[in-house]
Amino acid sequence: MSHFNLSAEIDRYAYTNALSKNSPVTKLFFALSLLLISVLSPSPVVPITVFLTTTVMILLCAKIPWRFYLRLLWYPTVIVALTCVIIALFFGYLEPLTEVNLLGLRWTIFRDGVATGFTTFFRVAGALSSQFFLVLTTPMTSILLILRKARVPKIIVEMSLLIYRYIFVFIEVMETMHIAQELRLGYSGLLKKLRSLSMLIGNLFIRTLDQGERTFTAMSARGYDGNIRVLEDVPKPNNAALAGIMFFAVALAIVAYLTVNIRIV
Amino acid sequence: MHIMEGFLPHPWWEIWFAVSIIVVILGIYKLKKLTEKFPEAKPLLAVMGAFVFVLSALKLPSVTGSCSHPTGSGLAAVVLGPAIASVLSAIVLLFQALLLAHGGLTTLGANIFSMGIVGPVVGYVLWVVSKKARLPTSVGVFIAVALADLSTYVTTSLQLALAFPSTSFMDSFITFGSIFAITQIPLAIGEGILAIFLFDFLVKYKGKLLSAMNVIGLRVGLQSQEASK
Repeated sequence: MSHFNLSAEIDRYAYTNALSKNSPVTKLFFALSLLLISVLSPSPVVPITVFLTTTVMILLCAKIPWRFYLRLLWYPTVIVALTCVIIALFFGYLEPLTEVNLLGLRWTIFRDGVATGFTTFFRVAGALSSQFFLVLTTPMTSILLILRKARVPKIIVEMSLLIYRYIFVFIEVMETMHIAQELRLGYSGLLKKLRSLSMLIGNLFIRTLDQGERTFTAMSARGYDGNIRVLEDVPKPNNAALAGIMFFAVALAIVAYLTVNIRIV
Repeated sequence: MHIMEGFLPHPWWEIWFAVSIIVVILGIYKLKKLTEKFPEAKPLLAVMGAFVFVLSALKLPSVTGSCSHPTGSGLAAVVLGPAIASVLSAIVLLFQALLLAHGGLTTLGANIFSMGIVGPVVGYVLWVVSKKARLPTSVGVFIAVALADLSTYVTTSLQLALAFPSTSFMDSFITFGSIFAITQIPLAIGEGILAIFLFDFLVKYKGKLLSAMNVIGLRVGLQSQEASK
């Protein structure tokens, strides 16, 4: 269940971090431009810069506790590191780099495999940290407001809002039922674990649908017509900040262009 | 199957975006028409979406730059049709990227293609075929959902193999595919069994609304239920 607490926690930080009062447009622009540059950059130099910049922004400007940021980071880092090791060992074929002796097995490691492994690892690091910046500083409701302003079809914004709400209904109902099951010796053995889990998921759907329909009836009774009108007191983007980000992004793009040929191996 | 943010190199993530956006736009058009006619279907659609979110957040790590988990989009396709399932999956994938940092924004296109397009289409086709072949409803739902789940993973392996070809495309396809298979085959069977129960529940409590919504898959399902009575 800890996984779902994570999404509730991320959501809480998105509303309470030190940058939450800044314009969402600026934050979105910052995160997306760094994300695009680090994904498009061929050498690891730019993604590493992006990783450091966004990490500093997350920890010092948004004041997200470093323990929480590390908790978010370690899981994808371990997975990507392992994956990139596999890519480095198995996916090369051009020029041999070294040969290793593994219990009598000779295994050739190729230069291009190792290079792909390294570039992929750093590209993911840069991209993930800019994604985390967006995720941790910008609440979902302001992203939905931007989507509405950007003329995304109304039905999409509306469905997104409803799904966003129901995700948290799901999590709440799930936690309550999970506690109730554990109190009654659920999950106390492999077979019981499976049985409890299937009961949980099945009932979860029924309860959430029921609650969702009651909410919908209540909203319709109060004149809901597919639009939820909220007061849009979103702070205006600061032009100087936008220009600064633009300047930084262009500088990074130039660095990316100049470092095309720098390779780690 | 969510491919991690930044894992796909240029130009692959752009290509999958271009492919997916066409189907999602078609889905949006259908969704708009459906909700204009049946506003009362909105809670069901949203709960379906939230359910896909919860199911595909139950993830197991897999060393492929991706991970292994149930998808939930197969059931959505059987009940609502593949076009609407693709829109719901697109919204859910965006939320997972933003609320769980699971999947990514640049890899959104690739993830929509595997979980929101290939999975639902395979599930839906199998569902319709199994109805035509007069298989029992539960068997049809199981086959459709389990194989929708598996086909999602085959697609992800294909996307990864195209982006990271080793000596040949096939080699790397088999490498990625076999790493996924370890965790995914039991998960697909589990998801199939779960879907049988949920489908039964939906037909029992929401049958009228769903058959009024004129979802072909379900209409076939209801007819066969009546016939068996």
